[in-house]
Amino acid sequence: MMPGIIIAAVLVLIPVMLYNSLVGKKNQVTNVFASIDTLLKKRYDLIPNLISTVKTYMEHERGTLTEITELRAKATSGQLSDDDKVDLDNKISKALGGIMIAVENYPDLKANQNFLQLQGSLNEIEEQISAARRAYNASVTDYNNAVEMFPTNIMASVMSYKLKKVFEIVAAERKNVDVKGLFSNK
Amino acid sequence: MKTLEELRSYYINILWPELRVLEEERKKSLNKIIISALIIIPLSAFLTYVLTHPFPIIFGVLGVIGANWLFTREYVSNFKTGIIEKIVTCVDDNLKYSKSSYIPQSTFASGKIFKQRIDRYRGDDHVQGTLGQTEVEFSEIHAQYVTRDSKGNRHYHTIFKGLFFVADFNKEFKGTTIVLPDVAEKMFGGLGAMFQSWNKGRGQLVKLEDPEFEKMFVVYGEDQIEPRYILSTSLMRRITDFKKKTKRQIHLSFIGSHIFIAISYRRDLFEPRIFRTLLSFVPIQQYFEDLQLAVGIVEDLNLNTRIWSKQ
Repeated sequence: MMPGIIIAAVLVLIPVMLYNSLVGKKNQVTNVFASIDTLLKKRYDLIPNLISTVKTYMEHERGTLTEITELRAKATSGQLSDDDKVDLDNKISKALGGIMIAVENYPDLKANQNFLQLQGSLNEIEEQISAARRAYNASVTDYNNAVEMFPTNIMASVMSYKLKKVFEIVAAERKNVDVKGLFSNK
Repeated sequence: MKTLEELRSYYINILWPELRVLEEERKKSLNKIIISALIIIPLSAFLTYVLTHPFPIIFGVLGVIGANWLFTREYVSNFKTGIIEKIVTCVDDNLKYSKSSYIPQSTFASGKIFKQRIDRYRGDDHVQGTLGQTEVEFSEIHAQYVTRDSKGNRHYHTIFKGLFFVADFNKEFKGTTIVLPDVAEKMFGGLGAMFQSWNKGRGQLVKLEDPEFEKMFVVYGEDQIEPRYILSTSLMRRITDFKKKTKRQIHLSFIGSHIFIAISYRRDLFEPRIFRTLLSFVPIQQYFEDLQLAVGIVEDLNLNTRIWSKQ
């Protein structure tokens, strides 16, 4: 009698544990994605300040500045899918990177205290975003492993859990810096 | 940061005259120790023989140890002010040296690296200063806890012995991140990682991407993001390189915008040797290198890069 009860209990417990661990991993992914979202918002909040500070100095970068403003408006308008968010975020990162490089041509701006502070905050948020992306990738990998590995994969297919995609570096970012190209202009 | 060549010329021009004076002092102290040993040991051995009791010889040995301490005390103190302090200034003249003070126990404990209760806490050779934009301090520390056996005898066990280093970290953060040597994963592989994730007392286990770093260390944090913000891919690389350079066990923690590093040593640091001549470059180079290892952390971990909002 006794062994029968124990076996039955184990048979019930195992699926429960598998189920809970999968749900935990899925929620971890959602949770980290939400923090990326928060950080991105924090960065969007900095953009108007940055633009108003650099606008007066950077005559030749007007195009990029308007582009950033437009991208920001789109990003904060809401109702975006996760993929769109990621896509917009990549574009903004690229445009901001361009501005930061262009700053080298404006010594007055480089000496502006207000700008330096903004630059510091922006660097900080970029670093936090990159940390959050790494955290996201780690939790997605954890989740994907659970979805594919035995025995959680059986439970995952019952729950119809699908593999999730990790953040990938955009092709433009992945390219190595062309040092030769940088110097040939001078 | 000074090179070995610069140290050599410093050694010849500045340290040499001082060393010669100290060498005389060392010989005198050594003679006193030898003479006291020559008197005490035979006498106590004789008494033990006559009285057929082990007490005299035990007291004799204790007496020699006491004499050693008594006769070298002043020499050690003079050596530290004369030589170690000068070497500290040679490494970087923004640094201040104090031979008898050390990092307070409260600071050591606030690093949260070691969880055992501290029953005995000692240290010396405190160095403090600002290197570039980074405030640093370090000292030699020996922290112990005590246990009692069934007979009520006390036994002291080392929690940490070595160099304890504290510096201002270049990024602002709120939580606690702890980086410990990875013992479990090295021994048990994946199973070890599972045990580590159960170690709830330390917070959440944070698995990082750098495989070499992961093999050497295990990281605990309060969430999954902040430890990654602190331990950027480049800092992980730098810590692995630093660990390889020191070839020692190192523990790190990041709390309250500070970085704490505990580097374990078996030997005593910055102490003169009474039985060896001082007039040799080798021990001087050793002191210099021990110091430079600590001072070099600022550069090794890139703490002077202030591109974030914290200036």
